[in-house]
Amino acid sequence: MEKLSRFILVIVAILVLSMTLPTLYWMAFEKPIKKPFVMYSCIDDDFFILRAGTPTTFEDKKGNKYTRDQYEQKLPMWNFQQLMVSGKMPDTIKGKAMDMHDIGRNRSFERYKPEDMNCPKSQLFPLFESQSGRASLELPNDYFRITWRMEFIDAGTNKILEEKSQLFSAALYHFGFTFPATRIEGLPTTRKSCDEGYLIVDSADKLFHVKLIKGKPFVKKVNLPEGLKFKHIICVDFKDKRYYAYLFSEKNEIFILTQDEYELIKFPVTEFKAENCELKLYGDLFNYNVTVDSEDHTDVIILDKEYKKVASYQESFPVLSERTEGKIFSYIFPAQLSMEDSNSKYIDFFWKGSGGMGWIILNLLLVALHFALLRRRKAVIKGHVIDLALVAVTGIYGFLAVNLFQNKFFK
Amino acid sequence: MWKSIVYKEWIKIRWFLVGFTILGMLGLGYVFLKVQRGFTFNGGTGFWYNILFMGMQFFGYFKYIPLLGGLIIGIAQYFPETVNKRIKLTFHLPLNENKVLLMMHIFGIVSLLASYLLLLLAFISLSSIYFPSQMIIESVISVFPWFLAGFAAYFFVALIVLEPVWMYRFFYALVAGFFVTIYIKSPVIAAYGPAIPGLSLLTILLSVALLFSAYRFRKGEM
Repeated sequence: MEKLSRFILVIVAILVLSMTLPTLYWMAFEKPIKKPFVMYSCIDDDFFILRAGTPTTFEDKKGNKYTRDQYEQKLPMWNFQQLMVSGKMPDTIKGKAMDMHDIGRNRSFERYKPEDMNCPKSQLFPLFESQSGRASLELPNDYFRITWRMEFIDAGTNKILEEKSQLFSAALYHFGFTFPATRIEGLPTTRKSCDEGYLIVDSADKLFHVKLIKGKPFVKKVNLPEGLKFKHIICVDFKDKRYYAYLFSEKNEIFILTQDEYELIKFPVTEFKAENCELKLYGDLFNYNVTVDSEDHTDVIILDKEYKKVASYQESFPVLSERTEGKIFSYIFPAQLSMEDSNSKYIDFFWKGSGGMGWIILNLLLVALHFALLRRRKAVIKGHVIDLALVAVTGIYGFLAVNLFQNKFFK
Repeated sequence: MWKSIVYKEWIKIRWFLVGFTILGMLGLGYVFLKVQRGFTFNGGTGFWYNILFMGMQFFGYFKYIPLLGGLIIGIAQYFPETVNKRIKLTFHLPLNENKVLLMMHIFGIVSLLASYLLLLLAFISLSSIYFPSQMIIESVISVFPWFLAGFAAYFFVALIVLEPVWMYRFFYALVAGFFVTIYIKSPVIAAYGPAIPGLSLLTILLSVALLFSAYRFRKGEM
C-alpha cells in the first residue's frame, strides 16, 4: 500500500510540474506574433496591410509603403469617420454617392472565437415580444426551455406557466418539431434594434425560427439540404437586415440565413475550422471581408454583395513550435498540461505535445542521471524500474517527481 | 479495539466538524440571503438574467468554505498525533499499522463527507426555491469541484502533517498548493463539467497518500 500511495503522489507531482514548469517557461520566454491586419480597398480593388509594431507600417500586397493618411484614404469604408473629420472622404466611389446613412446601414461586424462554441450554453432564454408597439424591447417575466415540450417558467415564482407552455409546445409540434431542442440561439438582450426570436435546432437536426408576435407563437421551419447539420449559430442584428444569422455546418462551411426568405447561402470559404480558427466578418457598402485567423496563417476572402468571391489573400507565419522559444521548449519538455485552453471555456485536462522530439535526448540523460544517483545511494536497481520508466517517458517532470517522493522501500 | 479507535477520532474532530458544518450553513445562509435580496431589489427576471447571461455566480461566496473544512478536519485529526509523536502509540497496538491508519482516515473522510452532503443538500434545496432544474444542475457542476478541493486538502494535510522531515513537508505543501488550485479556478458557470470525472478519480486516488509519509514516520526518516 505504501508503494501505491507513493506512486499516486509521484503521478500527482508529475501533473503539477507539467502544468507549472511550462507556464513559467512561456511567461519568461514567449514572444508575441503580430498578425497582419488585412483589409480590401474599394478604391484600388486590392489588399492593404497594417503591420503593428515600432514603427507601425502600412503597405499594399506588393509591399509598397504608404503613410497612415494615404492608407486611410485607400480604405474609406473602414475609416470613413476619420475621413469625414479630415474632409478627405470622397463624394463618390465607383459611381455611388457617399451618404453617411448608407455607409452606416451597410456596415456590419461580427467576430467569432472557438471558445464561443466550446462553452457551456444556457438552457433558459427570455422570449421577447417582437411587436409590442413599444419603442424599446422589454425583458419578459418568464424564461423558456425546450425539453420534452416548450416550457415557460416565471422567474418571480419559479413556477411553470402552463397555458403559454401548451400554446407554444402545440405550435412547435404542429410544425413537426422533434423534442427536445439540441441548440437554441438568439440574441437574449434588450440592446438590439428589434427582436427576431430564436433559431432552434431540434433532435432531428431540423432548423426552426421561433418568435413571439402579439402574444402568439410564430414558428417557421427552415428548409435544409439533406444531411446538413449545424454545430454553431451566431444570430446577428445588423442594420441592413439582410440575414438573421451565420451558421457553421459540421463540415465547417459558413452559411447565412437570409431575412424573411429563409434562404441558406453558403460563403465560398474553405479555410475555416470552427474548432481552432477565429473568424472576423466585416461588411460594408461594397464588399464583405471574411478573415480566418489560425495559429499559423491568416486568410482573407473578399465577397461582393451577392456573396461571390472576388479576391483572396493569404499570409503564413511560423507556429510556436517552429520559433526559437518553441524549439528550445521541445528540447526540455515532452508535453504540457493545462486545465484551460484558449479555444475553450471549459475546464478540462488539455494535453499538448511540445511539437518536436528533442526532449527524448534530455529524457535519456535524466534516466542516466537518475540511474547514477541510485547507484550512489547503493539502491537495488530492480526496485526502481518503474521510476526509471517514468523518467524516460515524462522526462524532467518524472525526474523531479521521483526524487521529491523518494523510493526508499528497496533500500 | 476498532470501536475505540473510531471513538478516539470522534473525540478529536467532533467540535471541529460541528463548528465547520455550522460555518458552512452560515455561509450558505449568507449566499441565499443575497439571493433573496437580489430578488427583492432586481426581481426574479433580472436576477435570473444576470446568472444566465451576465456570468453572475450567486454561490461564489461559498467557494473556499469546503476547502476550509478539509483543512480544519485534517489538522484537527492529524496534528494532535504528531505532538510528542503520539501516533507511535497507535502503531504499537496489536493491529496492522496501515489498517489502523486507514480506519482513522476513513472515519475522517466519512465525517467530512457527511458534512459536505448536508451542505450540498441544503444548497440544492434552497436553490430549488428560486431556480429551475437547469440552473441548479449548472450550479452544482460549478460547486462540486470545490467539495473535491476540500477532500484533496484533507488528504494533503494528512500527508504533510505526518511527514517527519520539514524540508519534505515544504515540498509537499508546494505540490499540494498548486494541485488544489486546479479545483478552484474561476471559469464560467458549469465549465468544470468535462473535468469532474478526472478530478474525482484523482481525488479518490489521493486518499491513500498519507500512507507514504506515515511509512516514513514509522521508519524514522530524518
